[in-house]
Amino acid sequence: MSKKSRKLIRSGATSAPAEAQPTPTEETVEPARSFYFLPATEPLPVAEADLHQLMKLWRHGRATRTIGQVISDGYVALFSVLLVSAMIISTVINAQQGMTGCSTQACDTGRLLVPSAVALAGFALAVAVSRLFGPVLASAAEGSWLMEAPISRSRLLRGRLVIPLIAALVVPVLVTGLVAALSGMEWASVAAWAAAAGAGALAMVAFAANEQTHDRDTVLAVLQGVWTAAALAVGLVVISVAAGWLSASWITTATTVRPVVYALVVAGLALAVVMVVAALRRLDLIRRARLVSGGSLVAGMQGAMFALDFGLIRDILVERKAAAKGHVKPTFGRGTGLTALIWRDAQRLLRAPGVFIGLVMSLLVPYAADALRMSQLNPLLSGLALTAALVPFLGSLRVLTRTGGLARMMPFKTGELRGAAMVVPGAMAVLWALAATPAFIGIASTGADRSLTDGLSAAMITAAAGLFGAVRWVTAKKPDFGQPMMATASGALPPTLIFNLVRGFDMVALITAPLILGAPAYWSAGIAVVVFLLLRSPINMEDMQAEQEAARRELAAAKAGSKAGSPGAKTKIPPPKR
Amino acid sequence: MARKSVVLKVSGLTKAFGPVVIVDGFNLEVAAGEAVALTGRNGAGKSTVLRCLIGADRPDDGRIEVNGVAVSETNPLIRRDVATVIDDLDFFPDLSVVEHLDLLARAHGVPDPEAAVDAVLDEVQLVPQSGQLPGTLSSGQRRRLALATAFVRPRKLLVLDEPEQRLDTEGVAWLAERLIAERRQGLAIVMASHEPMLVEKVATRVVRLGERARVVEESGE
Repeated sequence: MSKKSRKLIRSGATSAPAEAQPTPTEETVEPARSFYFLPATEPLPVAEADLHQLMKLWRHGRATRTIGQVISDGYVALFSVLLVSAMIISTVINAQQGMTGCSTQACDTGRLLVPSAVALAGFALAVAVSRLFGPVLASAAEGSWLMEAPISRSRLLRGRLVIPLIAALVVPVLVTGLVAALSGMEWASVAAWAAAAGAGALAMVAFAANEQTHDRDTVLAVLQGVWTAAALAVGLVVISVAAGWLSASWITTATTVRPVVYALVVAGLALAVVMVVAALRRLDLIRRARLVSGGSLVAGMQGAMFALDFGLIRDILVERKAAAKGHVKPTFGRGTGLTALIWRDAQRLLRAPGVFIGLVMSLLVPYAADALRMSQLNPLLSGLALTAALVPFLGSLRVLTRTGGLARMMPFKTGELRGAAMVVPGAMAVLWALAATPAFIGIASTGADRSLTDGLSAAMITAAAGLFGAVRWVTAKKPDFGQPMMATASGALPPTLIFNLVRGFDMVALITAPLILGAPAYWSAGIAVVVFLLLRSPINMEDMQAEQEAARRELAAAKAGSKAGSPGAKTKIPPPKR
Repeated sequence: MARKSVVLKVSGLTKAFGPVVIVDGFNLEVAAGEAVALTGRNGAGKSTVLRCLIGADRPDDGRIEVNGVAVSETNPLIRRDVATVIDDLDFFPDLSVVEHLDLLARAHGVPDPEAAVDAVLDEVQLVPQSGQLPGTLSSGQRRRLALATAFVRPRKLLVLDEPEQRLDTEGVAWLAERLIAERRQGLAIVMASHEPMLVEKVATRVVRLGERARVVEESGE
């Protein structure tokens, strides 16, 4: 390296901001600094209530409207909510009265089992959400500012425990109550089932909070699995009875089992009280990292929700799961080129066999649709279920498309990369189609009645719809707030934000529409082929515009060059010297 | 003496973000076996130039060629020849450190991928972390993994944006030795750096950028 280079490097490290001209190194005079140290006195005792009061004061200080003004401005919204609620309640009451008259065995079965399945699913969901977020959580700011202070954490965290407990009580009560009412139960039974669902979910969240104070998770994981399996089993029984595969003679009425439900309510509430008391006593012991982890997750998911970027929400959860796992037993791949990518995708499945549970569960949908006389809508419903089930199989495609970094490192065309990342999920979709074919042929006594060829083609098209729906879901671009906005009643929004709501589902609807409308299957197949080509090598309008612009510039440059050097160009000849 | 072949050729590169012009008519030629260091204050446009060089950002004007091929991020020839370490590198959350390198080596058709991966892993001192998932790596380890992804595959041009970031002192010394060896092997290198030692040791030419990435001073071969 030359002396000039060395001098340049040394001056670059210390010099002032560069100017348009080379700048010589200038000697800078450091300004005199003064430093502040705390006075050497004992700090005053801190009261949590004072801190809370201070924060409340800050928040109230930022308010720009009074509560009266807000209510006054929001009266239209308030009346709308009241009106819509009244309509919903009226509809539910009418439906309940209509269903109460049904006394067939199928109605009795549904009345008993469907609310039970919903309640069990609610328990599983309560445990899953509690495990994910805490259930007690604190924001990163609280973790940094309040948890560091010498104060009692339990007083700060009590409110954080109450919120999930209220949610666990209210949401299952409403949902199970609605389902129970729609199934045609008597109102007393509706109340009992709703209360049981609420009390059970409450107990689950309270138990999860207590486990959180002990920093344990194993029992919760087992409970989540048990409730999920129980909900699925009950759902299977409902389908089997409706399809006529299972005798319903052993099923009793909802009224008969009502005392058992009351007992469950009492047990659930008792467990909840005991667990809440136990958790409250130990709130001080929850590790800050665990509290803040749930808060950070909520913050991240809130941010993603504002952009309706569901893919990002899933990314956050996947990253979190991977970080919790931390370490795997490495395996070497096989093959070279694109084969290596496909082989690695296959190896991933062995590492995370849990994804197969979702795929197998999605197989229930076509059979349920057939059993419940919804054969016409079967492709759409099953396609949507398969879309959700195949998303976890497309992790590779997601990472390769969400940022350009990894794709840039691979020596392949974008279409080749995408195609390779679809091979393993595509194989799963084909297997799903083969397993679902009987449902599309019509195996239930009340279901569809198709030939083997028609059933197989319907299953294959549904599988393609599910696969391409999932591909679209994982590869869709996040909303670009730098692009021209669209005027809506809610203000200016990027167009892609609206489409994000239906991404993935749009492909399923598009491909299965001809099947649902009774058109020949080749229409759906044709649409599926076009969708595949577009998803494999998407049209990028920005790229096309940039290429067009570059071509225009080159053409202009070429024209200018040819004009200057062409034989026809006029050349000035200097006059001869005399 | 025969002139070395030009690997990277940039002419009239211009890039603006809205009304703010970041790079204005930047020109550069880098031959095989040459290492060019871009220096300059924060915001001078070093990273923007590098992002345009690899096709991550689309220039508003100008032409960039690698071995005579116009740069496009999606062109497989460019992807084959240009190894990059910039900040937008993503990782598969469920693949371990060694599996990332193995996948990359195999994707590029490296003849003995396991041996290549072992050697590079040993060199970047990530052998103890070989089974770890990327989410659990420290920022320095992630940087080492990013550098390893560039060294485990065939390449003709190496584009590095502040490669010394988050590396410890020994790591920077190792990186300098490695880049010198790369250069001697005939590789073309373009890097932006704030580390005087790295620039002094590795660069055969230093290009100091001022405002709008205009070349304030150029020194070296």
